[in-house]
Amino acid sequence: MVNAPRIPSDVPRPPAHVRRNRVLMIAGVVLLVALFVLALVTMNLPTWQRFVNGMQRNFWPLMRGLVRPETEVFGLAWRSMSETFFMAILGTALGALLAFPISFFAAGNLLGGTRWALPGKALLVAIRTFPELVLAIIFVAAAGPGPTAGIMAMGIHSIGYLGKVFSDVIEGIDQGPMEAIRAAGGNQLHTFLYSVVPQVLPEFASHVLYRFEINLRAATVLGMVGAGGIGLPLIQRLQFRRWDEVSMLLIVIVGFIIVVDAVSSRVRNRLV
Amino acid sequence: MAHIRFNDVEVVYRTGLKALKGVTLEIPRGQFVVVVGLSGAGKSTLIRTVNSLVVPTKGSVTVNDVNVTASRGGALRRARSDIGMIFQTFNLVKRSSVLRNVLAGRLGDLPAWRGVLGAFPREDVAYAHDCLARVGIPEKAFVRADALSGGQQQRVGIARALAQKPSVMLADEPVASLDPPTSHAVMSDLKRIAREDGITTIVNLHFIDMARDYADRIIGMRDGVVVFDGTPDEATDAVFEEIYGRPLESKDLRGA
Amino acid sequence: MPEASSLPRPPAAGRIKAALTVALFAALFVLAFRQTGFNFQALFSGTADFFRFFGRLVPDWSALPQIWPPLIQTIQIAYVATIVGSLLAMPIVFLASSNTSTDPVTLWIARTLLTVLRSIPDLLWAALFVAVLGLGALPGVVALVFFTMGVLAKLGSETVEAIDPGPLEALRAAGAGRNRTIVFAVVPQVAATMVSYILYVFEINVRASVVIGLVGAGGIGQLLLRYLNFFDYTGVAAIIVVIFAVVLLIDGFSVWARSKLI
Repeated sequence: MVNAPRIPSDVPRPPAHVRRNRVLMIAGVVLLVALFVLALVTMNLPTWQRFVNGMQRNFWPLMRGLVRPETEVFGLAWRSMSETFFMAILGTALGALLAFPISFFAAGNLLGGTRWALPGKALLVAIRTFPELVLAIIFVAAAGPGPTAGIMAMGIHSIGYLGKVFSDVIEGIDQGPMEAIRAAGGNQLHTFLYSVVPQVLPEFASHVLYRFEINLRAATVLGMVGAGGIGLPLIQRLQFRRWDEVSMLLIVIVGFIIVVDAVSSRVRNRLV
Repeated sequence: MAHIRFNDVEVVYRTGLKALKGVTLEIPRGQFVVVVGLSGAGKSTLIRTVNSLVVPTKGSVTVNDVNVTASRGGALRRARSDIGMIFQTFNLVKRSSVLRNVLAGRLGDLPAWRGVLGAFPREDVAYAHDCLARVGIPEKAFVRADALSGGQQQRVGIARALAQKPSVMLADEPVASLDPPTSHAVMSDLKRIAREDGITTIVNLHFIDMARDYADRIIGMRDGVVVFDGTPDEATDAVFEEIYGRPLESKDLRGA
Repeated sequence: MPEASSLPRPPAAGRIKAALTVALFAALFVLAFRQTGFNFQALFSGTADFFRFFGRLVPDWSALPQIWPPLIQTIQIAYVATIVGSLLAMPIVFLASSNTSTDPVTLWIARTLLTVLRSIPDLLWAALFVAVLGLGALPGVVALVFFTMGVLAKLGSETVEAIDPGPLEALRAAGAGRNRTIVFAVVPQVAATMVSYILYVFEINVRASVVIGLVGAGGIGQLLLRYLNFFDYTGVAAIIVVIFAVVLLIDGFSVWARSKLI
């Protein structure tokens, strides 16, 4: 038998599931684009003209300010940023202290079954979902403005994240050392102190540091609702469009955060 | 007089698995017993009934005429502190120092507040250092456990058990995670210390040659039942084939 | 047994390091308490006030019709910003990864740009663009575009740097240029992960777009601020409950979609 010459239409068609996936993908992209266009149309964004006007009026002064920031506000910027820094420290510490006990009630392996951990896990999700800034506003309204309101808002909100990652760490521990302590005649508390805590502590510390990096960013804006830190002087100057002073504050904020991030991530790498 | 006595011990796990089907044994003081059998034969369950890490569903285990099976709470913890245990995977807290791991062996005899604060008396700390010296790694006291080799980690495990000043030592596959030369070194340490201190020892092994080399007495288990109980001389290859229920293979030997 | 006094002591270096760490932390906390005026009395009275305040937050559901339009706008802001931000982030992703960047100088510039972008929080972007562009959804979208770029480009370039270099080498050996190497060797390796990151960023953006309204950048936050200023706490409570539900819903969807992807 002689092989028929191959003609281009002879190329095998891709199997059904490949074709189906391709169709699904195209449909997905079309849907995304359609939603995008729909959102743009219905959002009643202002005209392009206003965008251009705003940029013309304020963008170049901001850029000029960034090149030549008002050095007179450096002292103020530095003071409020260090207040912000210390707020983040206390807020993170508060969150870690509160998250520590809660996390053990959200860890299935210590409670003898995942279902006993569900209430704890649900509580943590609820806390995580509650926006920090709304908490800050409530604390300011309830207890008056100032750093304390910000620290408490950060402290409460951090429980959600820290409690979650803490309980994940606890669920991943090696059970062997716990058995060893029990075999040596230790009680529950001994097992906890000599086998659970030393296993989880370095990872806890690393997560706390990471949360501190997040909280430092959060703390810079809490002042915008009166909860202490550099946010207040910043929003005041933004409202009056004092771009040269805004720039000085921005530079201090960005510089401070970059340095703290670098130090913190170094320490984290050495911890685990 | 028997030091450890198993009285018709039966263990049924919650899954319905019958791990021990009525084991009765008497082990005199100071004997070095090796329990052999395939994995799943009930070796691990057997030694865990001695310190009640696994509680028999029927029958009882007595150590020094104390019924461990019936003990609860403080009484059980006192009984356990007289029974050292070492594990296949060492079960050390890897991020703690070697010394702290060894000191954990002293917890059972410590007043509660000292245990909580980690305030070990000087004698205990000194004794922990002694235990490390006896297993040949006195210089590792302040090193983190995860910085040690497998053989060294198992020596820390032995030191921790020794720190309890036990009269009974349990070892669950102590050399299964180690290479052949290290296995022999660890087993001879274990045997030497048991001899010197007169510790009654039960070791689970699945290597035939090691069982013959170190045991005073070999107990063979199969499907939760004791199928052989005799001296190493009596444990011929035919006996092992009977215990394992199959012809012997090269993996049944650790080698030198 | 050795003499009690001859017990071996831990190495000096370790002890000094531990002492220094403790001293450093003690100093930090003393300073922190002093600088912020935070004390435990304030903590307890603040907590009491908080719960008293919380007790007044009884949702008034008649506010719902007023809530829907800005809520939808909030989600729109997050959606549009996620898409635009993700598209803009893609070139930065490849320029900021050592294995796909053009040259060391570009790599350095892209990475520095990323570091700066990432150090600015969402609300700060929003406040900045409200000042530049005026109130409304527009500054919100622009702010979240920048925020998205910072988060996504960082995650993305870490993924790109972690890919298997084999296919890259194979394509280079076959004579492909940089762009083709990226399209045929890098993109297939990172596409699923990137889509999952984009979903994750969308999740973050929904939360962010709720709060940026508090500085005037559109959406539900702006309504929340108005209620707060008029002490309309029942309306505030209704918004909080709705936000809660929407965030949970979108989180749930995103977690589900991401689990399907990988």
